[in-house]
Amino acid sequence: MFWRLLWKLLRGSSGRLVVAILALVSGAMVISALLNLEFDIERKLTQEFRMLGANLVISPGHDAQINGAAPAALMNESEAFAAIQSLKDPAVVAAAPFLYIVERAGDTPVVVAGTKLEELPELEPAWRIEGQWTPSRQNQIPCIVGRNVVRQLHLALGSTLLLSYLGKTTQATLVGIVDAGGAEDNQVFMGLAEVQRLAGLPGQIGLAQLSVRGTAKNISEFAARLAAALPSYEVRPIRQVTEAEGDLLNRIRLLIGSMVVLILALTALCVLATMAALAMERRQDVGLMKALGGSIARIVALFMAEVGVLGAAGGFVGAILGIELSRWMGQRVFGTAISLRWEIFPLTIALMVAVALAGALPLRLLGKVKPAVIFRGE
Amino acid sequence: MATLVQVENLRKEFGNVCALAGVSFRVEAGEWIAIMGPSGSGKTTLINILGGLDMPTSGQAIVDAIDVGRLDESGLTRFRAQKIGFIFQQFHLVPYLTALENVMLAQYFHSTTDEKEAREALERVGLGDRVEHLPGKLSGGEQQRVAVARALINHPKLILADEPTGNLDEANEETVIQLFHELHREGHTILMVTHAPSIGRLADRRIAFAHGRLAEVPASSKTSP
Repeated sequence: MFWRLLWKLLRGSSGRLVVAILALVSGAMVISALLNLEFDIERKLTQEFRMLGANLVISPGHDAQINGAAPAALMNESEAFAAIQSLKDPAVVAAAPFLYIVERAGDTPVVVAGTKLEELPELEPAWRIEGQWTPSRQNQIPCIVGRNVVRQLHLALGSTLLLSYLGKTTQATLVGIVDAGGAEDNQVFMGLAEVQRLAGLPGQIGLAQLSVRGTAKNISEFAARLAAALPSYEVRPIRQVTEAEGDLLNRIRLLIGSMVVLILALTALCVLATMAALAMERRQDVGLMKALGGSIARIVALFMAEVGVLGAAGGFVGAILGIELSRWMGQRVFGTAISLRWEIFPLTIALMVAVALAGALPLRLLGKVKPAVIFRGE
Repeated sequence: MATLVQVENLRKEFGNVCALAGVSFRVEAGEWIAIMGPSGSGKTTLINILGGLDMPTSGQAIVDAIDVGRLDESGLTRFRAQKIGFIFQQFHLVPYLTALENVMLAQYFHSTTDEKEAREALERVGLGDRVEHLPGKLSGGEQQRVAVARALINHPKLILADEPTGNLDEANEETVIQLFHELHREGHTILMVTHAPSIGRLADRRIAFAHGRLAEVPASSKTSP
């Protein structure tokens, strides 16, 4: 009989309840979209910040020594990369060694960075490249040249660049022109082994840059583990990137949290207004139910169940619509869809049931209705 | 016959207005009592107190050995569910429940529902073919017969009827009065408020009210108040 009564209550007041359910669906839709965004924002922001390039640097420590000599500005390449590989952390997106020397192209000095060219697309995804990252023919010594150097030396894709350093020379083929919007536009990038050969520093690098996936906290933790594995080198996160990421994440979360609370409050107020009107309509029914021997608990439970069903239905429909809304928002803000998080469904439904019950306060006051007063028409 | 209702010096005041000014009478089990009097004489107030819908200011209203004035909220709820069957002038059916569900509603608040028994109750009042009708689709007489079926479904000790024919035409009034005759013959105790002397004369005894006091106890009464 309880469910029969509940169904009849819902049908009997469907006109007025439509207003409440519309408020609940709207509230649930926005809340579910915001929660979905909130749950996925960390991953999305992490992806966005990875576009900014390397976020971890390994450099020679202040007391680093090469071959027992005086403190030097170089590191042992195999030692550094063996340590990175030993951690076997899937969060490492890319890791590239760098050895910088100043060579001459004719009479023009130019900064040459020896590195692993194949790591650059992952390490610096924001760089725009004209041409290729890596050579199509294996018999070439490839190089990628910053756009300012290309302009200064009147180069073009496929040009040969003759470089000399301390009496040694090399001929490199320009396979890509890079537009990084920074100091990299004034540099030439070549294979590390070739630069080490020119510099006479086999196995030596100036620094290593890593792109590590994860939050600022994850990156700091990884840096600490790597530092423990490389005690003679300095391992540090690039603070501007990690701190900006954490700061932005916190601000977005605060904004989303505030909006969720505000929408919950507005939804509760809308439900409250509808339920206040419904409570006035139901006074006669409640008076009769009490006259028939209905206990306050039983009558109020019936009305609360009605409101709970409304909240659950509104939450369910709103959550589905909210997922679509979050996908649209993801496209607009991040350019890719926000991933669907299934935990949003129960969370949104629970929130809407709670809001509906909070908004149903006037129905709880029906417990105080006096049948005799109602029947007197007061 | 045992006394089912005992009213002793019952008073009910609404602010400065005295609705009942020290009323005393008794009703034996199985009696049909007509409570008569002009509007505002305290008839409905008496019915409300005896039915546990209102509380007396002082005095006693004892029904089936229960002093209604001493019951708390939950006690009153149990009392109404188990001892009383109400029939109102305005029928007071839940408009979005069918005739059957209106009867089952009383079962639900009493204990458990029994659809078969509820259908039989409606058949008994001649509404076997109207069980799935909403009150809005029933005539006044049919609605009042649903209310009678609802009042009887839990086998109450006392039936309290407040102007049960007040909103009915002559034909429907006759049908409902016939039902009261049947209930009386079956031994139900009935307290019925009525304005109509013709209906009042059908009862075993009439108790007349004026200005919150007993005004007349007709000589034709079977028992003394």
